[in-house]
Order: sequence, then C-alpha cells, then structure tokens
Amino acid sequence: MKRLPKILLNLANVLVILFLTVPLLALVFASVQTERTLVGHYMDIIPRELTSVNFAVILGRPAPAMWSLPKAINAFPQAFGNSLSVATSVTLLTLVFASLMAYAVARLRVRWTQTMMYVNLATRLVPIIILMVPLFVTLRRLQLLNTLSGIIVTEVGFLLPYAVWILVAYFLSLPGELEDAARIDGCTRMGCFLRIILPLSAPGLAATAVIVFLISWNELLIPLIVTSKQEVMTVPVLLSTLVSDFHVYYTLMAAISLVGLLPSAALALLLQRYVVRGLTAGALKG
Amino acid sequence: MITLPETRASMGMGKVAAGPPRGELRPGRLAFLLCLPALVFLLAIIAYPILHALYLSFHAVDLSALNTGEMPFVGLANFQALLRDGVFWAALRNTVVFTAVSVAGEVLFGLAIALVINEKGIALGVLSRALILLPWAVPPVVNGLMWGFIYSPSYGYLNVILYRLGIIKEFMQFLGNADIALYMVSIPYIWRTTPFAALLFHAALQGIPEELYEAAKVDGANAWGRLWGITLPLLKPTFTVLLVLRTGFAFMVFDEIFAMTQGGPGNATWVAAWYTYSQSFRYVEIGMGAASAYALALMIAAIAFVYIRLLYARVEYA
Repeated sequence: MKRLPKILLNLANVLVILFLTVPLLALVFASVQTERTLVGHYMDIIPRELTSVNFAVILGRPAPAMWSLPKAINAFPQAFGNSLSVATSVTLLTLVFASLMAYAVARLRVRWTQTMMYVNLATRLVPIIILMVPLFVTLRRLQLLNTLSGIIVTEVGFLLPYAVWILVAYFLSLPGELEDAARIDGCTRMGCFLRIILPLSAPGLAATAVIVFLISWNELLIPLIVTSKQEVMTVPVLLSTLVSDFHVYYTLMAAISLVGLLPSAALALLLQRYVVRGLTAGALKG
Repeated sequence: MITLPETRASMGMGKVAAGPPRGELRPGRLAFLLCLPALVFLLAIIAYPILHALYLSFHAVDLSALNTGEMPFVGLANFQALLRDGVFWAALRNTVVFTAVSVAGEVLFGLAIALVINEKGIALGVLSRALILLPWAVPPVVNGLMWGFIYSPSYGYLNVILYRLGIIKEFMQFLGNADIALYMVSIPYIWRTTPFAALLFHAALQGIPEELYEAAKVDGANAWGRLWGITLPLLKPTFTVLLVLRTGFAFMVFDEIFAMTQGGPGNATWVAAWYTYSQSFRYVEIGMGAASAYALALMIAAIAFVYIRLLYARVEYA
C-alpha cells in the first residue's frame, strides 16, 4: 500500500514525542535551579545556573540559610517510604486475592461467578468519593484513620475488581487442555492453579502487578482522606499539602514531584509491554 | 452441611474423569472459598459504603454527630439543600463542560497518535512507542502541580514562550481568569489521559487485516477514503469502550482540580467530586456530601447506561 512519505511520518512522530515529553521538561528545568535563579531570570527557559541543591534538601540535607521551608519538606523521605510500603502491600494483597477469584471465574464455570464479573465491571465506574464519605466514618470508628493499614485495606478493595478483570482475561486465554491433562493425572484443582495456571500466567500477573502498583503509587484521594498526620502521608498527599502553601518554592516542589513520579515513570517505561497488554485486556474484554 | 460427605462419596464413585477426585470440594464450594477473600473486601470497601452513603444522605451528619454517633433522620432535606445550592449547579455545569472537552480531546489526540505510531518502518516511531505511557504514569497530583507551574502568571513557561513569540504583550492569568480556567484545567487532564486512548486505538488498529486496505486501494480509495471507509468504522467498538470509561472517569475528576485551582477562581472550576469532597471533608457536612456523592454516582450510571444502549453493538474482543 502506498504510504505517506516517510519524512512526513517522521515529522508526525516528532510532534508525538514533543506532546509526550515537553510538559515534563518544565519539572526538570525547575528542579535543577534555585528559586533565586528562577525568579531572577524568569525569561530564561533553560536555567542559567544548574544546581542539585533542591534534591539534596528534600532528601534530608540541611537547607541553605534564608530558605523558608514548609515542615512537610522534611517529611519527604518518610513519605516516599510510606508510598513504597503502601503500593507494595496493595500490589501483593490484590494479586493474591484477585488471582484466586479470577481462577474461580475463568475455570470453575459456576454460574454466580460469571455474574460477579458484571459486578466487577460496574464497580469500575463507582466514584471513589462516594466510598470515601462512609469509609471515613467507618475507618474512624475502627481507629484506622492515620494508619497505613487503613490506606492499604481501602485501596485493595478498590483495585480488586479491576485486577480480577485483567486476570480473568489472561486465564481464559490459556489452553484448557493442559489443565484437563493434569486433572486426569490426579492433580487437584489447587495443584493445577499453583503448578500450571500461575506459572503460565506470569506475564498476566506481571501486567496486573505493575498496573496496580502504579495506580496505588499515584492515588491521592484515598490516602488524603485517611491520613492527616505527617508520619503516615504518602507522596501524593505530601504534595497536596504544598498546594495551598504560597511560600513553597516552586523549585523544591518540582524536585519532589520529579522524585515522586520517578518510580511510576520508570516502571511504566521499563515494563511497558506488560502494562500495555494489561490495560488493553482490562478495557476490551466484555 | 450434614449431607456433604454423602454427596462427595457418591460423586467420587459415579464418574471418574468428570467428577472431582476423592476428597476434593465441589466446584461451587471451591469457587466460593476462592472468591471469599475478594468478596469480603468487595463487601466491606465497596458494597457496604455505597449503602452506608445512602443512609448518611438521609441524616444530618456534622462533626459532633460523628463524635456522639447521634445522626437525626432528616428525610430528603440534604437532597433539597443540594438542589437549592447554586454552587452545586455550577459544579454540575462545570463537570459536564469539563467532561465533554476532556473526552473529545483524549479521543481525538489518542486516535491521531495511534494512527501515527501504527505506521511501521518509521525510525522515530520506535521512540514514540517507547514513550507513549509516560504521561499516563505521572501521578495526577504531580500533573496538576506541574501545569500549575507551567501556567504561573509570574514566571510560568507558557507565558514566557507566548511572550517571546510575540503572541502576548504581557504575562497573563490562565488559571486566575474565570472565563478560561475550566478549559485550562482540562488540558493537563487531556495530556495525562491521552496515552490510554492511544493504546486502545493502537491495539485495535493492529487487529485490522492489511488485506482490507489492499482491496480498497485496488478499488481506487485514497488514504482519506480508507480512513473513513475502513479504519473508523472498524474502530467503533473501541470508541464505545473509550466513551463509556473516559466519560465516567472525567466525571469524577478530582486530583488535577485539587492541585491547580481548588475550585477557583470563584466557582469557575468547581466540579462534582470537588463539591462532594468540600462538603464532606472541608465543611464536614457529611450528610450533604453523601447526598451529592449519590447524585454524582447516579449521573455516571445514567451516562454509562445511555452509552451502552446507544452504542453497544455487542463488543466482542475488539
């Protein structure tokens, strides 16, 4: 088929690449200069003097004299740790519970589990905010406000339907004969699940894990409502406390933002193959 | 429960290959056990709160009520207050505008990008495809802060660039101007969500057989004709999925609004989720918050229902 000239298509790709990356350059440029340089030479887009001082400060190095620092800045390393433990726990728990349910739905052929899939689909369009109002009341009563467990439990519940949805698509794509053969050789259901289905679904599990980790890492509303103390804040919540603080240096905020988006951006770019397959499986089956 | 051992024994004796081996649970029972942990979470974190929110929406719940646990029943008062609140209506209108602009933007940009990266054998296409997920991976709150910085009226890059190009004579307000703020906050949202649309379109494009294009070429169709005659009709299921999902999600937009404008200036960027959040957690009018959350959820359900009735020509593995 006659293609458009290659030069035009390469140009179109340049536009795509600019679309994808240019806004992020704002964070990069802002984070490698001091607030003084930024304000003093505001007409420069590429910073005049480069410095790593912003990153040093948010990672715990004492700030230069005269800098006005919001207290939250000191909490950044801890918030980063909190985000890591929350996202990791949410990913592991979601993966275990979701794969069990997905196996039942995909392989056991029980009527009501099929109905559950419609429920799962419907829950994807339930606004988090409607859950958060009552969950706030409940978590408060259970004294789970301001705990990482409170965040983890809520996020697992919220992400399970999506994870089940992606995994069912994977389990269904595996040939049923393998399991049938193993069953005839005396393998139990659970044995089949652990020895055949799970190993064969490694790409599906990886896809689900990355997506769940990313959504959890990026989630603002759930931890925002569950936490009000600095010790239990995640990175997005910490960033949200800087929003209404007019004294915050943009350059520092840019540095925090950049370090905060590093894990999710790195995961998405490195494991792109899995993410793409998971996202399309999660959206298109149905 | 008492009959279980008998059932199991008879099944073990009757069939050899089809029935479960001796000592193994019936499929229904096993399915229930496997689903149990997930079901507990779904009940506790999704089903129960939805019902509890309904309960709260019919009660007066303020800070003291939370402490004492005494929440007087007020009937439809919360919903009546909601309908009388001008800010609620402004939020509703803004949400509809925001959603329309955002979904249109995502779908158009997503489709354009998918068509570009779908062309094989283009050197730069490899790079585009490698970077396609980048905006999607950016935490929404970071996205909001980043664009807040880009839009800054004192040293934001957008002002600097426009000024240097001679398009503006003095730095302007993007988020501080009530006439354009809503559109300005939808741009970052479109930027972050376009990759998802591009991915779905790209996946669907790869499923279109090359022969269709060859045949159309033989019949004399040009590139434009092939786009309208073959590509777009075959992408219809993808459009449906995207419209349902993305309209629902845009209706719930919160993070970018929170990070950029917090509803301002004035009521210009109040959206439904921000209204619910403010009522519940800033003014601690939990009953009102629950009522507006319900209104939001019902609207999303209605939109999904209408879309599915109108557009679902039964989506198979698209």
